[in-house]
Amino acid sequence: MATIDVAGNAVEVDEEGYLADRGDWNEEIATEMAKIDDCELSDNHWEVIKFLREYYEEYQIAPAVRVLTKAIGKKLGPDKGNSKYLYELFPYGPAKQACKYAGLPKPTGCV
Amino acid sequence: MKFGILVSEGPYTHQAADSAYLFTKAALEKGHEIYRIFFYHDGVNNGTRLTTPPQDERHIVNRWSELAEKHKLDLVVCVAAAQRRGIVDADEAKRNGKDGDNLAPGFRISGLGQLVEAGIQCERLVTFGD
Amino acid sequence: MSEEMMEEGGGGVIKKFCYINRKAPYGTIYALESLEVVLIGAAFEQDVSVVFADDGIYQLTKGQDTAGIEMKNFSPTYRALEMYDVEKLYVEKESLEERGMTADDLIVPVEVLSSAQLQDLMEDQDVVLSF
Repeated sequence: MATIDVAGNAVEVDEEGYLADRGDWNEEIATEMAKIDDCELSDNHWEVIKFLREYYEEYQIAPAVRVLTKAIGKKLGPDKGNSKYLYELFPYGPAKQACKYAGLPKPTGCV
Repeated sequence: MKFGILVSEGPYTHQAADSAYLFTKAALEKGHEIYRIFFYHDGVNNGTRLTTPPQDERHIVNRWSELAEKHKLDLVVCVAAAQRRGIVDADEAKRNGKDGDNLAPGFRISGLGQLVEAGIQCERLVTFGD
Repeated sequence: MSEEMMEEGGGGVIKKFCYINRKAPYGTIYALESLEVVLIGAAFEQDVSVVFADDGIYQLTKGQDTAGIEMKNFSPTYRALEMYDVEKLYVEKESLEERGMTADDLIVPVEVLSSAQLQDLMEDQDVVLSF
């Protein structure tokens, strides 16, 4: 299994860079995962990542993009609750990229 | 009539797969359209080409593949259900780091949206399962 | 259970979809995989009803703890259905009574319907999926 180096520790990830063990998650790992994608995490990124973690904790699923968009709009305001904003932050798609940094389970690709 | 078919149980264990096959064949013979056959729950096991039943028994998987080829059927295996049960095509194998794939010819792996879409498009969605 | 932005496959058609849940949550996988269909199906913006009957009402019971059986407790996900615009949840009255339960024992607000009322509801549907 592949690993990424986080502050000298090898953290196991799968083929697509998702955490092998979701229990490993911490903020340093998220930062390192983003770095691999050439993405520097801003406060705006963290807002979404933390939102996703709270959402998962509460409902035990990663929200569909449109549900995430709506919920972010409700919590953080309409200027952030739109897919343009979320895709600008996470160009590989909020479901894939943001969930990966947030240490949520890998999407099944179920469309 | 335009039919969608849902197969919810695995081959050999349960008659659902046989009934779905026989229904499909009969419907086609009568000139009906089979828009899609969707395999869900253990039904995804209808799509593994590694199946090797005794020679004096029906070959449920090959039977589907042959029917699909003959009538250009759309046989769809649910990706989430398939991942749980170890049914993978070459793309899925690569995506999930598996050393082999086992999807039978004529089947494709896709999402649950395909089941709902079949429900929307078809005049009847017929379920085979418990 | 997350998904990418999906295209609409309905072409503007709105049908009445009814999902019927009849089995206990953890004895078999039907409850979990039914919930997955409902969540994915929500993107198609159809007229969705979800029914819980027989042992299916146990899917909604409060206070589920699955630690001892090493399965994921997916009951909190039913509380997310509202955000997926799945708002019509029905529970069969007789099933509740037979099991000594009331709507107060359930984790989400539901409408309790008699078996006869459910029959009318099902009669009215375009697509019925039973799990």
